[in-house]
Amino acid sequence: MNMFKKHVTHEISAFLHGELSDDMARTVKMHLAECGACRNALEEIRLGERLASTLRQVEAPESIWREIHTAAETQKRGAQKWSWPDRLLAAAFSFAAVMAFSLFLASYVPGRPDAGDAASWEVASVRGTPQIGNLRLHDTGRLRPGDSLETNAHSEAKVQIADIGHLTLDPNSRIRLISTNSDQHRIALDRGRMTATTWAPPRLFVVDTPSATAVDLGCIYSCEVQKDGSTLLHVTLGLVALDFHGRETVVPAGAFCRTRPGGGVGTPYFEDSTEPLQTALNYVDFGGNESERARQLDIVLREARPRDTLTLWHLLPRLRERLRSQVLDRMVALAPMPQTVTRSGIMSLDADMMDSWKSELEKSW
Amino acid sequence: MEGIPINRRLSAEFDNVGAMKLCAVTSDFPIDDRTIEACQRGDSEGFRLLFEVYKDRVYSIALYYFNGDEASAHDVTQQIFLKLLTHIRQFESRSEFSTWLYRMVVNACLDRKRALRRFLSLDNSHAHEIPAARKSMEEKVIQNEREASIRLAISGLKPKLRMAILLKHFEELSYDEIAVVLGCSKGTVASRLNRGHQILARKLVHLRGYGPGGGGWEE
Repeated sequence: MNMFKKHVTHEISAFLHGELSDDMARTVKMHLAECGACRNALEEIRLGERLASTLRQVEAPESIWREIHTAAETQKRGAQKWSWPDRLLAAAFSFAAVMAFSLFLASYVPGRPDAGDAASWEVASVRGTPQIGNLRLHDTGRLRPGDSLETNAHSEAKVQIADIGHLTLDPNSRIRLISTNSDQHRIALDRGRMTATTWAPPRLFVVDTPSATAVDLGCIYSCEVQKDGSTLLHVTLGLVALDFHGRETVVPAGAFCRTRPGGGVGTPYFEDSTEPLQTALNYVDFGGNESERARQLDIVLREARPRDTLTLWHLLPRLRERLRSQVLDRMVALAPMPQTVTRSGIMSLDADMMDSWKSELEKSW
Repeated sequence: MEGIPINRRLSAEFDNVGAMKLCAVTSDFPIDDRTIEACQRGDSEGFRLLFEVYKDRVYSIALYYFNGDEASAHDVTQQIFLKLLTHIRQFESRSEFSTWLYRMVVNACLDRKRALRRFLSLDNSHAHEIPAARKSMEEKVIQNEREASIRLAISGLKPKLRMAILLKHFEELSYDEIAVVLGCSKGTVASRLNRGHQILARKLVHLRGYGPGGGGWEE
C-alpha cells in the first residue's frame, strides 16, 4: 500500500489543527479526496473538535486571592525562628485571644452561653451531614475535647482550630479533639484525610495518627490515614515535623512522607519526583528483603535529581555503611559537598557536618 | 507611562479603576520575562498580575477536569498559586512559563483525583453546574443544557484524553507544548486528541448544529 492509500484517520486532529508538516498535510488532503471512510472520520472528528472548542472559561472566585494572601502571611510567620521568650509571649497572646474569642462566642452565639465553650471549636458542614458524636450536623456545631467528628461518603466538614487556623475534613474521615489550650491544640486523625491551614507559632497544633504524630511548624498540609493505618503527609506550604518515638523528620513544602504502624516514619520525597523513585523508595523504607532493598535503592539513586537530595540526605542515617556509601556517591555527583564537610564526616553521620551540608542542599529543596 | 515596568503600569491602573479593570486588561495579556523576574524577586504586584492573567485558566481547567466540582477547582487553583508563590524562583526562563505552569496544574489535578478516588467516585451523580454567562433566561437554559452535555461527555473521557482536550481548547497550546506539559510525545498528543474528539462526536452527535460554524460544515 503506498502512502496515498494508507488511511489517515490517526492524523485528522493534527490536520485540523495545522500541526502536520506541509508534505504530510498534502498527503492527508490527497487521501481524503479519494477515501470515503477517512472523509467520514474527518466529519466525525471535526464535530468533536468544534464542540470541544465551545468550552467557556469560568471566572475563578476572588476569594482565592485573599486565601493565598493569608496563607503567604502564615508562611512568613511560620518561617520565623521563635525564641523561648517569643514563644511564651505568643502563647500568652494566643491564650488571651482564645479567651476573648470564647467570651465573644459565649456572649453572642444564641443557645450556647456555657463556659465550656471556651474549650471548643466551631464546626461547619461543607456538604452533607457530618456527625459530632451522635449529633448530625446540618449547619454548624461545636467540637469539645473528647468529641469525635465524622464524615461519611457524602459529607465534608470545616473546623476552626481555636484561633490559629482551620482544617477541612474529607469524606469518610474521623477526627477526635484531644485537647485545646494555649500551649497546644491536639487532635487524633483516626481515618480519612484532613487538610490544615494554620497561622500559629510552630508546634502549637499537633495531629496524632495511628503511625506517627504530625507537628505543625506553621503551614498548610494534608494528612491521610489509610485503611492499613499508614499515614501519608503532604505539605503544601511551610514545614511539618513527623515524630515517631521522639525521632523527628521535617518535611518541607512540596514533599510527601509516609509512615506505617510499626514501621516508623518513611523518607520524605518531592511530589514531582519520578514514579519509579517513589515506588522504589517505598520498598527501601518498608520492604523486608535486604537484597531487594539494595536493588530498589539503585533505582532511587538512578532516578534522583539534585532536588531529590532531600530524599537522599534523609536516607543516609537509615542505611548500613555499604548502602550509605552508595547514597553518598550519588549525592556528591548531584551536589558537591561544601568545603567544611568531609566524606568521612558524613559516613560517620557527624551531626554538624550533616547539618552544614543540609543547609546547602536546602537551597534546591 | 512608557518606560515603567508593565506590572507597575497595570498596578497603577488597578489602583485607579479597580479589580474588574485589571482583570479586563490582563485577561489576554502575555506574561513577559520582566513580570516573571519581578515575581522571583518577591514583587507582590507582579504576582498579583500573574494571578489575574492565569487564575481563570487554571480554575477552568480544574473545574472541567473535575466535572464542575467547584471545591476541587478552588483547591487546585489555590494550591497552584501558593506553589507559584513559593517555587517561582525555580522557574528558569529558558522554558516557557505557561508550559511550566500547566504542568503544575496537570500534576495538581492528578494528585487531587488520586486523593478523591479513595473517597468518592467522580461520576455524573456528583455533577455540578458550571455558571453560564449572562444571557436571557431561555437562551441560558438552552445553552446550559448544551454545555452540560458537552461537559458530561468530556468528563466521561479517560483522564489522559480529557486533559489533552482541555489544554488544547482552553489554552490553545500547540501539540509540542501539550507534549511537554503531559510528559509524552507529540504523536501521543495527536493520538489522544484524535481519540478524544472522536468519542465526543459520537456522544454528542445530537448537537451537530451547535457551536461556531455549527450551521454548516466548512470544507
